[in-house]
Amino acid sequence: MSDMSSRMWVPADSKGPPVHPDEDIILELRDLEKRYGHIQALKRSSLSFRRGEVHAIVGENGAGKSTLIKLLTGVVRRSGGTIVWNGKEVELATPNEAIAHGINAVHQEVVLCRHLSVAGNIFLGDETTRFGLLQRRDMTRAAQKILDDLGFDLRADVVLDSLTIGQQQLVATARASLRGTKFIIFDEPTAYLTRQEAAQLFALIRRLKLEGVTIVYISHRMEEVFELADRVSVLRDGTHVGTRNIDETNDAELVSLMINRTLDQIYHKETLPIGQPLLETRGLSGKGFSDMSLTVRSGEIVGLYGLIGAGRSEFALSVFGRNPKTSGEILWKEQPVTIRNERTAIDLGIALAPESRRDQGLNLNLPIGLNINLPVYDQLMRGPIIDRGEEKRRADQQIADLAIKTPSRRTLASSMSGGNQQKIVIGKWLNHGAELFIFDEPTVGVDVGTKAEIYRLFARLLKNGAGIILISSYLPEVYELADTLHVFRDGKLVGSQGYREKSHEDILAEAIGV
Amino acid sequence: MTTEVTPTSVKARRNFSFLFALTLVGLLILLCVALSIATPNFATGNNISNLLRQGSMIAILAIGQTFVIITAGIDLSVGAIVGFSTVVVAGLIQAGVPIWLAIIITLVMGLLIGFFHAFGIVKMGLPPFIITLATLTSLRGIGLLMTNGSTINITNEAFNQFSRESFLGVPNLFWMVVLVAVPAFVFLHLSKWGRYLYAVGSNPEAARLSGVSVPKMIFIAYGLSAMCAAFVGVMLAARLGVGNATQGEGWELQAIASSVIGGTSLFGAVGSVHGPLIGAFILATISNGANLLNVNSFWQRIITGGLIIIIVFFDQLRRRNR
Repeated sequence: MSDMSSRMWVPADSKGPPVHPDEDIILELRDLEKRYGHIQALKRSSLSFRRGEVHAIVGENGAGKSTLIKLLTGVVRRSGGTIVWNGKEVELATPNEAIAHGINAVHQEVVLCRHLSVAGNIFLGDETTRFGLLQRRDMTRAAQKILDDLGFDLRADVVLDSLTIGQQQLVATARASLRGTKFIIFDEPTAYLTRQEAAQLFALIRRLKLEGVTIVYISHRMEEVFELADRVSVLRDGTHVGTRNIDETNDAELVSLMINRTLDQIYHKETLPIGQPLLETRGLSGKGFSDMSLTVRSGEIVGLYGLIGAGRSEFALSVFGRNPKTSGEILWKEQPVTIRNERTAIDLGIALAPESRRDQGLNLNLPIGLNINLPVYDQLMRGPIIDRGEEKRRADQQIADLAIKTPSRRTLASSMSGGNQQKIVIGKWLNHGAELFIFDEPTVGVDVGTKAEIYRLFARLLKNGAGIILISSYLPEVYELADTLHVFRDGKLVGSQGYREKSHEDILAEAIGV
Repeated sequence: MTTEVTPTSVKARRNFSFLFALTLVGLLILLCVALSIATPNFATGNNISNLLRQGSMIAILAIGQTFVIITAGIDLSVGAIVGFSTVVVAGLIQAGVPIWLAIIITLVMGLLIGFFHAFGIVKMGLPPFIITLATLTSLRGIGLLMTNGSTINITNEAFNQFSRESFLGVPNLFWMVVLVAVPAFVFLHLSKWGRYLYAVGSNPEAARLSGVSVPKMIFIAYGLSAMCAAFVGVMLAARLGVGNATQGEGWELQAIASSVIGGTSLFGAVGSVHGPLIGAFILATISNGANLLNVNSFWQRIITGGLIIIIVFFDQLRRRNR
């Protein structure tokens, strides 16, 4: 351990950048493949990484970025192809093997022990001991030195749980920079960071690069890619579709590589006559949001844009009766209503496809049919017994209508891909006859084809007189689809505009508060 | 990224699940055949009736337990409720309460104990293991206090006689299994409540956001489990003719074992009514056969333990394949 930390802090100029960066390949992937059962998550991709470069990887959700990280960190094993590390073929079969080579990752979600101290987390699995006993004080001192050297404004002796997610992310970064002595992967590192924290992180990345560490930087944020990266590789639908030097490319080229079709082909915007108000909130406040006043009418999409944690999902959960409101009013079809719980909301005609399919949307280890019918079993009862013919018919109808790719309604939801799972989450509300649909991040982890299908479904719902609340962190999506777009920041409504009234840049500026 | 699962694999999977149920029945039949050959005393009407009586009570406990396990919970109190219920029903009958009323009071008391468990889980946020463990010990204590540690003899012959009689050649106690299992089957497999139970066990948050009242389902599951246990207490009091708070010791574990052998997953959302029934009778047959063969009763416990490991292991293999 001691040699690791000392390596980090030699003056940057003593090593210097590599002399022939073009030839100095540290990691090469040849025809790398990964299959999960029948699903091909990564298709015969070849990529190479140079020593001391910042190599950005971009691609849509579900393009294979996560799979690539898991392969490189030894979390999953490849199904085919070869991995060449420092000129030698390696297996990368376990996380320990990856760490032994000096490869580590900072994951999007913090994977640390919440109840241990910052120091305990930094040295977890690599503790300083004397006669088999932990040397807590030594570890805390060493950890503090590391944090100070990294320029992170953090204390080593506090419990991880007491930090913000952004601070925890920095702890994870410190941990990774001790282990990833040659190669560090950052997966969407700035998603939860404040601007100051992000600046600290960028400074660290530049410094690691000067020390000859290869950085793989995965991000949706183009401006970060252009700020940090030397080269950028694009993944699409599990395939590597190209690598560019950063100064030889631009936003437009990368986006077209990522989606391989123009935006107009994906977003079907039909202007429909907007009808009567369905839902109106007046000064609605609750946990995580306050003073929300907005209206959704039949035939329109109301977009809610903002960063993660801006209070959009909390607002939706409150309207749906999941979380109590603390003040304010909800009107349904211009009548004041009290939404006591989810059942009240459902009976009014509100449907919610929640943010997390896995945690909120699906009963994964139950059949698709049961998932689809779950909200409507009241309608399926004939006396004390379920009308099984009707149960089957409704499930099969949604499977057919939404083109859910499954052999049977009895198949478990867990065996479906992200896109098909999302269709199940949506499908469960289509039998119900809801009038207001709340879609919270409906296209995360969904492939482009399914995305287009979901957007077409929106159009169908609107035509039938429904209203839609579309919550998304992906600006082009809400920008192109929403008739009215509300921007959330820190639990407050900071701006509203009609269809394409403001530019992307202005909306983004509202959302991040500059 | 598409999911291509061929229809054949689904068919195979369903056949496999069907096979598992068949395997259990097959195991039961195999046991019976082997015991019939090994000992002349097994395949006698008397012994079979006895076996059915023995198995009935655990079978009913296992059905109730299965409801709870499907919600990803556990009910450790059922053995204690059995003992406590024998005291209550015996006390009531000895006090001159009509039999039908005594039984109803006992069942309602069982239901309330179950509601207390659900209250602890839903309102106080206690883990099911803890709240039911707490009632396990306290109910025994309350029963012992009520009887001052002694046994209440039931002198009502009609009550005692019921457990010894048969109807259509089948012991009355086994008819009680039918009486419980048929509505239980309808409840779990044919009604919306059954679907909700699975949904709660699989993912309570998703169930809630689909309009299922999770607290209500927890109350129902624990209420039914405790009520089944109270019902078994009535059966046991009739069979033994006594009320004693120490009866039913360790029956909760036999009920859980029957349920698990019958294919219920302790992680929730997997289970049936017929599986635990077969599981209970497999355990009863092993115990009965071991007695007839003069196998040391200590061995029975070891065999039961081994059986649980083997059956659940094969079940896990089956699940992993899907």
